[in-house]
Amino acid sequence: MAGKSGRSIKAEQEVSFKKLILSWEGALFILIILLNIFNASISPSYTVTNILREMPKYLAEILMMFPMAYILVLGDIDISVGSIVCLCATMTCFISNAGAPAIVTYIGCLAVGLICGMVNGAVATRFPELPSMIITLGTQIIYRGIAEISLGSGGSVSFNDTKKIMPLSKKIGPVPVVLFVVIIAAVIFTVVLAKCTFGRELYAIGSNKLSAFYAGVEVQKCRFIAYSLLGLMAGACGLFLTAYMYGANTTTGQGFEMEVIAMCVFGGIATTGGKGNLIGAIIAGAIIVLLRIALGQINLNSQLILVIIGAMLIIAVLIPGIQANLKARRKLKQAR
Amino acid sequence: MEQKSLIKKITGSREALLFCILIALGVVVTILNPTFFSPTNIAQIFRNNAIIMIMAVGMFCVMLTAGIDISITSTLAFSGMSIGMLQKHDIVQSTLLMFLIAMGIGCIAGFLNGLIISKGKVAPIICTMGFMYIWRGMAYVVGNSSWASGEDVSQFAKFGKDGTAGPYIILIVVYGLFFVLMKWTKFGRKIYAVGSNAEAARVSGINVDNVLISAYTIMGLMAGLAGALSVSIYASAQPNMQYGKEMDVIAACVIGGVSMSGGRGTIVGTFLGALILAIVAKALPLVNVPSIAQNTVKGVIILVVVIVNVVSQRMIDKQNLERREM
Repeated sequence: MAGKSGRSIKAEQEVSFKKLILSWEGALFILIILLNIFNASISPSYTVTNILREMPKYLAEILMMFPMAYILVLGDIDISVGSIVCLCATMTCFISNAGAPAIVTYIGCLAVGLICGMVNGAVATRFPELPSMIITLGTQIIYRGIAEISLGSGGSVSFNDTKKIMPLSKKIGPVPVVLFVVIIAAVIFTVVLAKCTFGRELYAIGSNKLSAFYAGVEVQKCRFIAYSLLGLMAGACGLFLTAYMYGANTTTGQGFEMEVIAMCVFGGIATTGGKGNLIGAIIAGAIIVLLRIALGQINLNSQLILVIIGAMLIIAVLIPGIQANLKARRKLKQAR
Repeated sequence: MEQKSLIKKITGSREALLFCILIALGVVVTILNPTFFSPTNIAQIFRNNAIIMIMAVGMFCVMLTAGIDISITSTLAFSGMSIGMLQKHDIVQSTLLMFLIAMGIGCIAGFLNGLIISKGKVAPIICTMGFMYIWRGMAYVVGNSSWASGEDVSQFAKFGKDGTAGPYIILIVVYGLFFVLMKWTKFGRKIYAVGSNAEAARVSGINVDNVLISAYTIMGLMAGLAGALSVSIYASAQPNMQYGKEMDVIAACVIGGVSMSGGRGTIVGTFLGALILAIVAKALPLVNVPSIAQNTVKGVIILVVVIVNVVSQRMIDKQNLERREM
């Protein structure tokens, strides 16, 4: 485990068991075990097969979490991904309905996502003075607007030839295809962020953009790549979403951006940049998905889940502050 | 020489520039379609956008402190649903009391935001994101998956019915009050001070935490007020009220020249920004642009405005640099 990557650089890097448990990722890991026990106790149908069956609904979103973590580590934010998903899902339906073969449909969807991400990246790198929030606020409205225009007054489109998109919603044994894709993406994105030059450059930029620039990091190039990756993965999310919904409408993907950011933040990635790692975010994503499945199974008012997720998020972000406060107080006492 | 200074004066002041754009926009639309410039139409624009305009005032305060609040429409939904349910079950019927209850709920929501952001040192977007989920969920829980229809709130809806002065009075009072508050009172200047440089403000004896808390409380208050107003204007209370409209509010502020990094912006600019968005939305169908293209145009306007701003700032910086070299 990369531990507290980017937080501080120490001469000795010993990983004691106690430290591992006390780290944010360790705490999340314990939480996910407790959550599974809790889920199993409240819902009798909380079994592996059932989880695997209900999982795909929520998994497509996780695909966007990995590149979103990159963006957050950079100290940027992208709130346009929900709209990119909508646009990609819409375009997938149109491309397929026009008679294109399956492979063209898939590539077309990913290409739309990539282009959207590249536009975000291009604007963000051409005008680095602008907060990324404003840029993506604009593009968020534009992308969904384009989807609305192409959907016309009906506001929805359905997939004519569902056979084409079937392979994506298939299962290999009991495991849905999307889970494999998520796991492969998780491994690649985590390794790149924790071990590769590109990943470490992201941390450098997030901690201090100017010093990273003087140290020879191509700041704007890295940002452009991160935005493009996010667009690409939003395209993948849109593709899987279409595979499960057999269509798209103007509200597809609404609110996804905040859910994805919430997962990252819950996993210990700071929006100020340079802090956190993907292992925490992956565990946090799993916690939210499993919680949703279990609460859905016991037929809890589905909106109450929102309250629980919101409360968890706020508690999670409050804990580091409280910890620091306690530490400072203890130091003060010792000094006296 | 004189003319140049006039141009400079206009381009130097964001409000003057926005005002010119606004007038140009109005003239162009009126030429294309004379029905645009009629008293009823203008009144409609204000009435339909009163909610966004009122919340823009709160967002202006929050953005001045370099913060952001994306929980406002959820707060709006929760307060609106609460008073909707109170009326549905015939517990309270007084219009004034309804407004007070909704504003009270909004105040509490805003206060919690401010408390966690200032004392807990949490990033504003994350804290308000958490509350965005909480209040939206609570709006559904309060309604128990039902909603208040026009019949349930018929008494209350009289306040905001088409043709009554209620929404306009609230709009004028809110903007008048905050124009004075932000420009000429100690409190308003403190918010500017904290937004420009929080550390300097702290050193000079301003209680930064209190200023932050009050800014977010104002935001909550405005969201609560908007909640009551929206129930009154649309004569219904639904848990998914104004979903996603917080981005419109932020967009109005950004177009109005409120800086996201804090300390810059005026209440007049905010008002003009909100008005430009409102007029564009109203004018598009009148000039034969289909209303489904509305969002795209809105997004393009936001991007163009902020990019033009950056480019002009770069040019000014370059000019200053050249002058120094001479």
